[in-house]
Amino acid sequence: MRRLYPLIIVIMLLPLYLVSLSTVASYKKAQLRDRGVSYVLPSALLKITSLEFDELMSDYLFLKALTFYGGTLDRTERPRIKKEEWLWMYDVLNAATDLDPYFLDPYYFANANFTWEARMVKEANTLLAKGSRSREWDWMLPFFMGFNEFYFLHDNALASEYLMEAAKRPDAPPMMETLAVRLAYKGNRTKIAIVFIQETLKKTKDKITRRDLEIRLEILQDVLALEQAMEVYLGKYGKLPRDLKQLQARGIIAHIPKDPYGGEFFIDKDGSVKTTSDMFVVTK
Amino acid sequence: MKPIFPVAVITFKEGIRNRAVYGIIILSLLMLTANFLICEIIMREVGKVAVDIALSTVSFSGLLLVLFVGINLMAKDLDKKTIYMVLARPISRTHYIVGKFLGMVALIIVSNVIQGCFAAASVFMLNSMYPAYFQRFSWMMFILALVFIVLSLTLLSALSFLFASITSTSFITLVLTVVSYLIGNSLSDVKALVEAPKAAGIDPSPVTIKVVQTAYYIFPNLSFFDIKIQAAHGLMLSFPFICWTTLYGLVYTAIIITLTCAIFAKREFP
Repeated sequence: MRRLYPLIIVIMLLPLYLVSLSTVASYKKAQLRDRGVSYVLPSALLKITSLEFDELMSDYLFLKALTFYGGTLDRTERPRIKKEEWLWMYDVLNAATDLDPYFLDPYYFANANFTWEARMVKEANTLLAKGSRSREWDWMLPFFMGFNEFYFLHDNALASEYLMEAAKRPDAPPMMETLAVRLAYKGNRTKIAIVFIQETLKKTKDKITRRDLEIRLEILQDVLALEQAMEVYLGKYGKLPRDLKQLQARGIIAHIPKDPYGGEFFIDKDGSVKTTSDMFVVTK
Repeated sequence: MKPIFPVAVITFKEGIRNRAVYGIIILSLLMLTANFLICEIIMREVGKVAVDIALSTVSFSGLLLVLFVGINLMAKDLDKKTIYMVLARPISRTHYIVGKFLGMVALIIVSNVIQGCFAAASVFMLNSMYPAYFQRFSWMMFILALVFIVLSLTLLSALSFLFASITSTSFITLVLTVVSYLIGNSLSDVKALVEAPKAAGIDPSPVTIKVVQTAYYIFPNLSFFDIKIQAAHGLMLSFPFICWTTLYGLVYTAIIITLTCAIFAKREFP
């Protein structure tokens, strides 16, 4: 009988053990569900504490944000992710990219989710700017920034600057510069657009592309000349001319230049010079 | 010079027979298997994460080797008084230290080559699974990172020899080596932090800054050897940087071993 005591004690304790295990596990699970957003250590401190494993810590933080985001997919409430949770995710991704600023995935994730879903476009672009500085070979990050500025923030001038940056980088699709120049022109950044085309011309060997660029350069130089003439007019008469013919009538310009694409130059409502061809061949 | 070689060989054999070596290798194999699982979840830069994990595994298991096998090789000799047996033979104390150290370096190199092969195999397999995400990866940087890990571990091991020659028990040696490792890896970050207080939003006292700056010259700067991030992203390092870092590691190691020999020669055994 005495030999059976240990067995009996173990059998009696076993249910207690199982109950306590499952209870603690369920508590723990509830805690995990609430945890979600918590404090993120500042990256300066993370850099010190992660010793030589900065990159690993960066991967870990990114996976943390990623799995948190994935965990919210089965939520039923709307909006699915609360504002503070988005802010927490931003902090995590920010720390991850401080530890490894070259890591593409956090930028990619931020761009995909902070813009459309969270409407935290400024934050997304702050992150992307960090990535764009580090990953100087990657045209995608400035392109994303340009798109966000254009589509969400409606800042064409800035958008065009980013797209121009993107176009300068290796393997950027050729349409990038076309986009950039058109945005620059619409955003009244004629000079930037001119410099940009001149730069691109230096690198372009293809004859057809060169001809397009040269025509566009010609138009932009005309636009710039007209804008400068308008400034002279403003200085003389204290107001902007109503149309370009006034500039000619007052002798500030000899003649109104012709648009090689077949459009006509005019003064837009915002006081900038534009052309009816919008820098495309006008089909009549 | 003759007695150095046998001591080195014995040290190497003693190290490789240690059971801990098998444990360390199993651990690193498990971590490299985890590499495949983690890379499954990564969206774009699979190559970067794969290299991160592979190199960190090699570095971490090398650290365990230095801490748990290396320290025992020297400190246990003193702990268990087996050193009397060695010193009774016609061998100078300097030869003993240099021989032990060379044996330890051989152990580090061999274990790093083995682990490096495992790591390279896991990266190679992931590379063939997701070739599109490995565009910037370069094997040259990967191998260079492995070489730098060896340099850093050699330096750390030299420090453990220095501590073993000063202290009386292997436990204190272990603690001092771990602390040096922690300081060595965080030193440049801490220095950058205290020297740029405005950006970080802290205001360290002038004394703190001086202490950190002094520590910067005394402790080894192990973060110099950490080029995992460059290897992961295929960023090139300048040739002078590689040469100077190697020189730094070798010079620091030589200084430490010379100091160890000097201290050990004067040491009295009870």
